Amino acid sequence: MTPPALIVDTDDPTPPYEQLRRQFAELIEAAVLQPGDRLPPVRQLAADLGLAVGTVARTYRELDSAGLISSRRGAGTRVTPTAPALSDAQRAQLVRTHARAFVQRAVRLGADQGEIVSAVVRAIELEPTASRTVAHQVL
Amino acid sequence: MGGLLLVLLVCVPGLVLLTARLAQKRRPASVPIPASAALPDGVIRRAAGWRWAGLVGGLAVGGVAAASGALGRGFMLAAPVFALCILAGVVVGETSIRSPRGRTRIAALEIRRVRDYVPRHLAHAVIAATTLLLALLTMTTATGAADDLGRSGRVVLLQCSQALQQGAGPWPGSFYSLPLGVMEAAGLIAAAAALRFVIRRPRVGADPAVVAADEALRRRAAQTITSACGILVALPLAGSCVLTAVALLSLSCRPAWLTVAAWSILALVPATLALIGWCAAVLLVPTLGVSRVLPGT
Repeated sequence: MTPPALIVDTDDPTPPYEQLRRQFAELIEAAVLQPGDRLPPVRQLAADLGLAVGTVARTYRELDSAGLISSRRGAGTRVTPTAPALSDAQRAQLVRTHARAFVQRAVRLGADQGEIVSAVVRAIELEPTASRTVAHQVL
Repeated sequence: MGGLLLVLLVCVPGLVLLTARLAQKRRPASVPIPASAALPDGVIRRAAGWRWAGLVGGLAVGGVAAASGALGRGFMLAAPVFALCILAGVVVGETSIRSPRGRTRIAALEIRRVRDYVPRHLAHAVIAATTLLLALLTMTTATGAADDLGRSGRVVLLQCSQALQQGAGPWPGSFYSLPLGVMEAAGLIAAAAALRFVIRRPRVGADPAVVAADEALRRRAAQTITSACGILVALPLAGSCVLTAVALLSLSCRPAWLTVAAWSILALVPATLALIGWCAAVLLVPTLGVSRVLPGT
């Protein structure tokens, strides 16, 4: 299975550490990262994203403060057993909320239904962790 | 002694060639990489170029080291010097891979571990050889004595009777084992650091085809480092086994158990030579996927 990808946009006004923090928090809430799962070492992730080690370390500190992960010398950084995970219903609700927000913005930009659907299909095709078959089943 | 050396001279190249042939035949399927993989220009060529430069440089510097040094000390240090040159070549080659610099950076949520890249069986053989070398050198260091010129740890002495003591050398006592131990430790620490560097370096790109090529490149580097460690350990082990056995067998008043010990130690030599051949095959036969994409790596 392809591991989920983390994306940082350096032109985004949101600082890179916060972009990463949000993505990790979402992955933990969606149970993609489950209690006990290890996170990549700070230096490895920083090298892969071309970020300073301190930036990734700050992300991990923030997640640690929020009780989502814990770091232990020698055992690496892991998702805590008490990290809150969304129920299936909550997750489905969140997906619908995001979809609605996207559709509202697209409509404001003047997109019609066909354009919106093809944009979603295209986005799914570009997403390395999403299955194309799922995309075609859903849409 | 002369006969033994002659046997070794005949056996070594034969064993190396045989092992290289077997290793080539039994090599597992290479990582499949599409020939159209959009690899960044020169990444694989640079890494392979530096790897070969380290290998050739190691042979040259190791040869010089073998020719220098008194009483065989230079010859003893040739293997560590050779291995260090290879490690340097691998690390310099891998440093040409830079972190992403674009606007959008993508990283897979993955944990790269050394054990996922190092060839398992070869690593086990290298660990076994390291353990044997450590045990043998500990024993020879503990039993070494000064030679007739007062150089400590260069001969072994055996008390034949109350009045008669017999000595034999050269013996891999502290005269040889201490500088060798320092070089071996330096080489193994450098290898561990090089492996860590190779595993932690950034990915070449995020495209699945590039990721596959990157995996093969990383695996090849880990193989090279493991093989360099094999040469680093196995060559001095073979030499130490021969010196120890020959010295013990030249003691005419030796008890029977010492004869058994000497032949047991000598029996390790073929296995050690096979390990050298295995490592040489991995170093010299580039049959991994990366070499199929770009010939000559």
